[in-house]
Amino acid sequence: MAIQLSKDKIDEAINTIIEYGGDGIQRCVQCGACSSVCPGVQAGFPVLCRLLIKKLQDGLLEDIIEEQSSWGCQNCNRCTEVCPQGVRPQEVVIAFRRYQANELAFSTSTVSAQMQLHDIGHAVFTEAGELREGVGLPGKAPTSAYNEKAQEEIQAILDNSPMAELGLF
Amino acid sequence: MAKVGVYVCHCGSNIAGVIDVEAVRAFAETLPDVVVSRKDLFMCSDSGQELIKQDIKDGVVDRVVVAACTPRTHEPIFRGVCESAGLNKYLFEMANIRDQSSWVHPQDPSGATEKAKMVVSSAVGKAARLKPLEDKFVDVTQKAMVVGGGVGGIFSALELANMGYKTYLVEKDPSIGGVMAQLDKTFPTNDCSACILTPVMVEAGSHPNIELMTYSEIDDVEGFIGNYNVKVRRKQTYIDWKKCTGCGACVDVCPGKAPDKFDAGLSKRSAAYIHFPQAVPKKAVVDMDSCLNCAGRKIGSEPKTSKKTGEPMYAPCEKACPADAVDRSINYNPEGEIVEVDVGTIVVATGYKVMEKDCFKELAPQHSNVMTALQLERLISATGPTGGKLLKPSNNEKPKTINFVSCVGSRDVNHHTYCSRVCCMYMIKQARLLKEKYPDLDIYMHFIDVRTAGKDYDEYYTGARRMGINFLKGKVGSIQTLDDDKMRVVAYDMEHGENVEIESDMVILATAIEQTESAKGLAQKLGLQFDGSGFFKEMHPKLGPVETATQGIYLAGCCQGPKDIPDTVSQAKGAAAAAAVPLAQGKVKIEPIISEVHAEKCSGCGICVPLCPYSAISMKTFADRPRAEIDITQCKGCGVCTATCPSAAIVLHGYEEEQIMAQIAALTS
Ligand SMILES: Cc1cc2nc3c(=O)[nH]c(=O)nc-3n(C[C@H](O)[C@H](O)[C@H](O)COP(=O)(O)OP(=O)(O)OC[C@H]3O[C@@H](n4cnc5c(N)ncnc54)[C@H](O)[C@@H]3O)c2cc1C
Ligand code: SF4
Ligand code: SF4
Ligand code: SF4
Ligand code: SF4
Repeated sequence: MAIQLSKDKIDEAINTIIEYGGDGIQRCVQCGACSSVCPGVQAGFPVLCRLLIKKLQDGLLEDIIEEQSSWGCQNCNRCTEVCPQGVRPQEVVIAFRRYQANELAFSTSTVSAQMQLHDIGHAVFTEAGELREGVGLPGKAPTSAYNEKAQEEIQAILDNSPMAELGLF
Repeated sequence: MAKVGVYVCHCGSNIAGVIDVEAVRAFAETLPDVVVSRKDLFMCSDSGQELIKQDIKDGVVDRVVVAACTPRTHEPIFRGVCESAGLNKYLFEMANIRDQSSWVHPQDPSGATEKAKMVVSSAVGKAARLKPLEDKFVDVTQKAMVVGGGVGGIFSALELANMGYKTYLVEKDPSIGGVMAQLDKTFPTNDCSACILTPVMVEAGSHPNIELMTYSEIDDVEGFIGNYNVKVRRKQTYIDWKKCTGCGACVDVCPGKAPDKFDAGLSKRSAAYIHFPQAVPKKAVVDMDSCLNCAGRKIGSEPKTSKKTGEPMYAPCEKACPADAVDRSINYNPEGEIVEVDVGTIVVATGYKVMEKDCFKELAPQHSNVMTALQLERLISATGPTGGKLLKPSNNEKPKTINFVSCVGSRDVNHHTYCSRVCCMYMIKQARLLKEKYPDLDIYMHFIDVRTAGKDYDEYYTGARRMGINFLKGKVGSIQTLDDDKMRVVAYDMEHGENVEIESDMVILATAIEQTESAKGLAQKLGLQFDGSGFFKEMHPKLGPVETATQGIYLAGCCQGPKDIPDTVSQAKGAAAAAAVPLAQGKVKIEPIISEVHAEKCSGCGICVPLCPYSAISMKTFADRPRAEIDITQCKGCGVCTATCPSAAIVLHGYEEEQIMAQIAALTS
C-alpha cells in the first residue's frame, strides 16, 4: 500500500525526533554513507540510519513504533563520522529509541536486558566462574553480580529514575 | 527652494506585501520641500519612469526621490531617467524601503511602514540639499592583461587580441594550458583534450597581439580602471629562453629528480624539465630545488678543471644543450626579473585545484591503488606515465575491478558544501573510456545522485548505463585495505536498502574542486572579494557574472566557481567582451562622488594622507605652504578623509555635511 503522506504526521515525527535530541534529521540528503558503515545494518537491521531517517521524514513515526532495527545500534558513532551533511544519524536513532521507550514499545531483548540490569547490575551477564578459575582468578568477580549491597544500591537508583516510570521492574 | 518629487514603488508584493504604500506616499506629501508624491506598481517599468520624466519636463520637480529597492541595481536606472528628462542625474536620491523595511520586517507591517516613512524623509532631507555634479573622464590604456593561462585565460586573451587589443597573458607555470592540458579526453564528445587545445595554445602563442608571460606572477598592481600599472615577476628559469629551442637534450641527461606536477605526482621529472610535450612556449626550466649541481657547477661559478684532462668540467645539461642556452657560469638572480606593463583592464582566469586524497582518511589514501580522478586522467592519457595503459601503481598489472567514489569533499559539511559540478560527468567519461578499451573491466560508480544537466550530458550518462557500467545510489563510507593490492569498498545500495561490499583493485576518488592557494595574495593585489565557497566573487550572481566589485577587473573560468570547459569558454569570451568595453570607449568615466580638498581651508597638517586607504592624497605646495591634494583617479569616495580632517577642508561631493545633517535631523526629529 502506498504511503499516505500527511503534513501533520510529518511534523509530528520530525518534532518528536528533534525533541528527543535528533535535531539533524532535516539535514539528511539520503546519500546512505551512514548505512554503508553501520554494523547494525551490516548485521541485518534494515531500518537503521538512512532508512530510519527516511521513514521518519515521511511521517511514519507511529507506523514503525515496533521496529526492532533501532535496538541494533551499537552507538559506535561511525555514521556521525562519515555523514557529509552533519546529521549525526546516531542521535536520530537514539532519539527514535527514546520515543519507543517512552511509548513502551521496547524490543523484547531490551526488556530482559533492563530487568537484568535492575536485578544484578549487568544488562548482559554470563556466568564465567569456571573459566576464571581455570586461569587462576577467583570464580566470583568483584562486581555487583555477587554483591547484594551493590545490587540494592543499583535498584534504589533505578527505582528513583525515569526508567522506573516505564514499569519494567 | 528645491522642488522634491517622491515616487513610491510597490515592487509588486515585494514592498506592498508588507508596507502600506499609500500611507508612505501620503506621508511624503507632508514633508518640507516635497511638491508631489506619487506611487506606481513598478517604478522601474516604462510607466513608472514616465511619471518622473513628465514631472521633470513639466517643471514640477527639480529633485527626485524614488522609494523602492536597492541603489546597487536601480540607482543607475533612475539616474538615467533624470538625465533623459534634462535634470542633472546627481539630483536623484534613492530610499531603499525594500531591503531596509519590507524584507527585514515582514512580521510587522505597521512597524515596517513607519520605518519606510523615516527612510523616505531622510532621503528627502538629503535630496533637497543635493547639488548638480558633472562626470569626469580620463583616457584609457588600450591594452589588456589576462592572469592565468588555462583554457579560460587562453580564450579571453584570444578574444581580446582578435578585437585588436594588445594582450598580456600571465601564467605562473612554464607553459599555458592549465588543467585541460592534463586531461585525456573531454566529455561529452570524448574528443582528445590535447588535440582540441594544442592548436588554440599555438594560436595564442603566435598571435601578434598576445604577449605570453609564462613562468610569471603578478607582483604588484597600481591604478584604476583604464590605467593599471602591473609589475609582473618573471621567475628565474636558469636557462636562456631566447636561445632555448625546446629540444629536450638537457632534460634527457639531467639526473636530478622531483615529482612531476603535470602527471599529478604519478611520475618523476628531471630538474631540468619541459612542462609537457605540447608546451607553449616549449622551453626548458631548471627547478633549483631538485638540481644536483652536477660536476660541482653551482649557479654563478666558473667550471672546475679536470685533474685528468685539464679541461673545464661542465654539468650534463650544459654539455648537452646544442643551442648554448644553458650556461651555469651566469650569476642568475633567483628572484627573476620585474617587468612593468600598463594595461586598461584585467581578466582573472586563475582556475582551480583539486583536493588531495590524503584529506580523506576513511578512504584509504595511503593505498597506492587509491587515486584521485585527476591522477587517473594522467594514467589513461597517451602522454601519461604508462603511455595510456591502465596499470595498478602497486604492481603495474591490469586491474579487474574499479570503483569510483563521488562527492569526495564536495557537498560535505566537513569540507566544501558546494557541488563541484564536473565530477559526475568526468567519472562517467573515465568509466566509458575504460569500458571501451577494456570491455572485461568491472566498473562500479557510487553516487549521492547523478548530476548531468548540460547539453547532451544526460544522453552521455544513460549511454554509460547501456555499456554495462554499474551505478549504485549511495555514498561510500569506508574503504578497507585487504592487502597491498586489494581493497574492500564498503558501500550501500539505496535502491536495495542494503549494504554492499565490493572487492576492488583500484578506487578513484572524485575529489572536490577548490580555490588555488595563490588566490588570496592575488585578491589583495587586485581588490577582489571571495564568496562563501572561497571562489572569487562576481559583481552580481545573475546580472554581473563576469564583472567584479573592482571596476576594470573581470573573472573567467573556475576561479569564479567550479565549471566545465564549455562554461569556462563561454564565460571567458564574456569576460573578454566586458573587458574590451572600456578599451573601445577609449575613456573611462570618473563618477564625481569623490572628495575634494578646499586648499584655502587646509592647514597642511597631513593627517589625511596616511589614512586614505587608496593612497589618493598627497601634499602639494600652494602659495608656499603644503596643502593636501586628492588624485581624482585614485579616490573611491569612501569619505575617510572627510571625516578626519580637523579643519573640515575636505568635501565629499554627494555626501556634504549639510546633506548628512539633514538626513540625521529627519531620522531623529
Ligand atoms: C579529473 C578532471 C577531469 C575533467 N574533465 C573534463 C572534461 O572532460 N570536460 C570538461 O568540460 N571539463 C572537464 N574538467 C573541468 C576542466 O578541467 C575545467 O573546466 C577547466 O580546466 C577550467 O579552466 P580554467 O582556465 O578556468 O582553469 P585552469 O585549467 O585551472 O587554468 C588556470 C591557469 O591559471 C594558472 N594560474 C593559477 N594561479 C595563477 C596566478 N596566481 N598567476 C598566474 N597564473 C596562475 C594555472 O597555472 C593554470 O594554468 C575536468 C576536471 C577534472 C578535475
Ligand atoms: S552509531 Fe548506531 S546507527 Fe550509527 S553506525 Fe553505529 S550502530 Fe549504526
Ligand atoms: S550519511 Fe548523513 S546525509 Fe547521508 S543518509 Fe546518512 S544521515 Fe543522511
Ligand atoms: S646541473 Fe643541470 S643536469 Fe645537473 S641536475 Fe641541475 S639541471 Fe640537471
Ligand atoms: S575619499 Fe577615501 S579614497 Fe578618496 S581621498 Fe578620501 S580617503 Fe582617499
